Amino acid sequence: MDKFWVVAKREYLERVRSRWFVVMTLFVPVFITAIFLIPAWVTARSAAGTASRNIVILDATGTGLGKRVADLLARDSSAARVRNAAPAAQPQVREVTPAALPAAEDSATREVMRPNGVVGYLVLDDSTLSTRRIRYAGRNASSIVDTDRLKASVRQAFTGYMLQREGVKPETIALISNLSLNMSQTRIDERGKGGSGQAAIFLGVGIGVLLLMSIIFHGQNVLRGVLEEKSTRVAEVVISSIKPEMLLAGKVAGAGAVGLTQQVLWIAISAYLMTNFAPLVLKSAGVPISGAGGSAIGASLGGLTVGLFVVIILYFLFGFIFYASLLAAAGSMVNTEQDAQQAAMPVMYLLIGSWLFVNSVIVNPTGTIARVLSWLPFSSPIIMPMRMGLSPVPWTSVAGSLAVCALGCVFAIWLAARIYRVGMLMYGKKPSLAEVARWVRYA
Amino acid sequence: MHDNDLAIDIRGVTKKYEEHVAVRDLSLQVPRGAVYGLLGPNGAGKTTTIRMLLDIIAPDAGSIAIFGRPNHEAGLLNRVGYLPEERGLYRKMQVRRVLRFLAELKGLKAGDADKRIDEWLERFGLTTKERDWGNSKIDELSRGMQQKVQFIATLIHDPELVILDEPFSGLDPINAQALKDTVVDLKRRGKTVVFSTHVMENAERMCDAVCIIARGEKVLDGQVTDVRTSSGRRNVALALVGNTAARPSENGVGHVLGDPKLVRHFDDNNRYFEIELAPGADAQDLLHRLIEAGARIERFELILPSLHQIFIERVGASGVETGMSGHG
Repeated sequence: MDKFWVVAKREYLERVRSRWFVVMTLFVPVFITAIFLIPAWVTARSAAGTASRNIVILDATGTGLGKRVADLLARDSSAARVRNAAPAAQPQVREVTPAALPAAEDSATREVMRPNGVVGYLVLDDSTLSTRRIRYAGRNASSIVDTDRLKASVRQAFTGYMLQREGVKPETIALISNLSLNMSQTRIDERGKGGSGQAAIFLGVGIGVLLLMSIIFHGQNVLRGVLEEKSTRVAEVVISSIKPEMLLAGKVAGAGAVGLTQQVLWIAISAYLMTNFAPLVLKSAGVPISGAGGSAIGASLGGLTVGLFVVIILYFLFGFIFYASLLAAAGSMVNTEQDAQQAAMPVMYLLIGSWLFVNSVIVNPTGTIARVLSWLPFSSPIIMPMRMGLSPVPWTSVAGSLAVCALGCVFAIWLAARIYRVGMLMYGKKPSLAEVARWVRYA
Repeated sequence: MHDNDLAIDIRGVTKKYEEHVAVRDLSLQVPRGAVYGLLGPNGAGKTTTIRMLLDIIAPDAGSIAIFGRPNHEAGLLNRVGYLPEERGLYRKMQVRRVLRFLAELKGLKAGDADKRIDEWLERFGLTTKERDWGNSKIDELSRGMQQKVQFIATLIHDPELVILDEPFSGLDPINAQALKDTVVDLKRRGKTVVFSTHVMENAERMCDAVCIIARGEKVLDGQVTDVRTSSGRRNVALALVGNTAARPSENGVGHVLGDPKLVRHFDDNNRYFEIELAPGADAQDLLHRLIEAGARIERFELILPSLHQIFIERVGASGVETGMSGHG
């Protein structure tokens, strides 16, 4: 057992000392933070955009509708304006007669074509009143954000106009047209209310991605380590001092400990960045802290109970042992990096295959697919923690699935050790599947 | 069970692979304190035997004991040092860390290991005033230096039994000398050294006893002098004056050496011939005939047949099977 620790210690220290470890440990949290921040930041930016304001409104309805639209547009964009942005142009309303409309459109087109001029023009005419048709032409005609905002403003202005025609008081109209909704979503489980629905998805998918990435990354490390020992021939000296099974176990344990260390650092650094750094960025972009990504992140971390944390760690360990053992066996069968990737394929298919079902698990975390996958030892390490993040799972199921997973690990270690024992000393051509099967039988 | 006087006791060991038998019913005993040579052509089963000895692979039949204990007994292999034929170390690791790792795998405490590592590095000139190679990565070392680190790794735990598989292959003359000195030093300190080689001269110079194997079977074994006298005959070493040795046919000597009644076989060693007499032939007759033929003789000596001669005689060219070196 002493020698197991010697191997695990070497594996751990050599990896933690490597430049790659440092780079990956810092890069991933920054990347994750960026993933959360960029959409929020982009939304904030486009909300602050002034394009939808810098337009000409050609109003041929004779009802003052253009004026209403212009007011709404001006108010809407000032609300989301960036603090430091220069005061932008207001929409220009031109009330024209239906007969003069074509000429007005021509001149507006020329204005849009001039550089640094207005961005576009909006046409409101009789057909707007009769068939709710509006026309817009401009540089930003393909911008969904801008056109949506225009449409919303026109719709709101039109509602106001119709209400006024029906004799509703202006104050009431203002009240109605400024009515905004704020829906909060709350998840209910047998423990009561808790967290938001969106946060659960963040949490579930986050856990799944983290586990998948760690298993792939550190599993590949084990494979490469085994291959290195074989190709540098150091393996023979090592195996003359320690049983191959013990060597395999030590290597997997050492690399697994590296994975755990990295995950703890990932979580700690991400949490630090999210709490200390993200608010600064969002604030400078003019996004209220409680909005956009912020709440989802906060809520998803809030959903991370101690129990769930322990289960995640256990599943990582089991999943890692399962896959890393098999990848080590794959590494021991071959002599070159290319052959190693090929030998690792069947193992990777198991892993990636499980990931393909993630969508159906998110859509229906209690469905048959989710249930079956959270019991199979090769998919449960990813699917089960994710399911637990999405919806409550009875603890008996979790315990059962962990037990099955542990059995799977025992089988994987047994199989891997037999292949490893023979494979480590086999040089020359790549073995066929039949040969590997023979190794397993005779080892 | 107690340690006994045999360092190695292999009895009736057989190892089969799919297509061939690598080792067949092999038995050999190595006394403690001996320098023992395992001789044979490539593919004879030397490496397979050594790997079974070290419990890297398991024999299909037979038993292997080291110091009188079964070789799979826990901790026993901590008393054995091994230098494999194919050598290599972790490329990206520092020399000191590699050595500490391998020493700890042999049951040494990290502190003890560090002290010994420093001694060995200094002894092999890997730490000098200008540079301490112990802190360099294996990658940064020259081939010769890597070989030295590999020796250190083999001997760092002061093993009682040292097993070297083809230790001289790929060594430059300086490291070969260092290795020879190390073996002599180990012997002087009462350690047992077993090495495999297909270079008979090394074995003849260094070994107390040898075992010749071919095609997975033992051909003969025993003390080197016993082996050489076992044939019960003497060979003749013949050297001619001047540069005539290389062209015997030109001065009539060739006719004498070509006479099947006198000479069974001769081997041109460039500086001298090693001549195996035909059965019943007399060395005096040969000398007489040579002088008659006008040979100017510089050396005419009755010698024990060299291991090389015995090897060629007993194993023959057919013993050298190619393409099996992977299973050594």
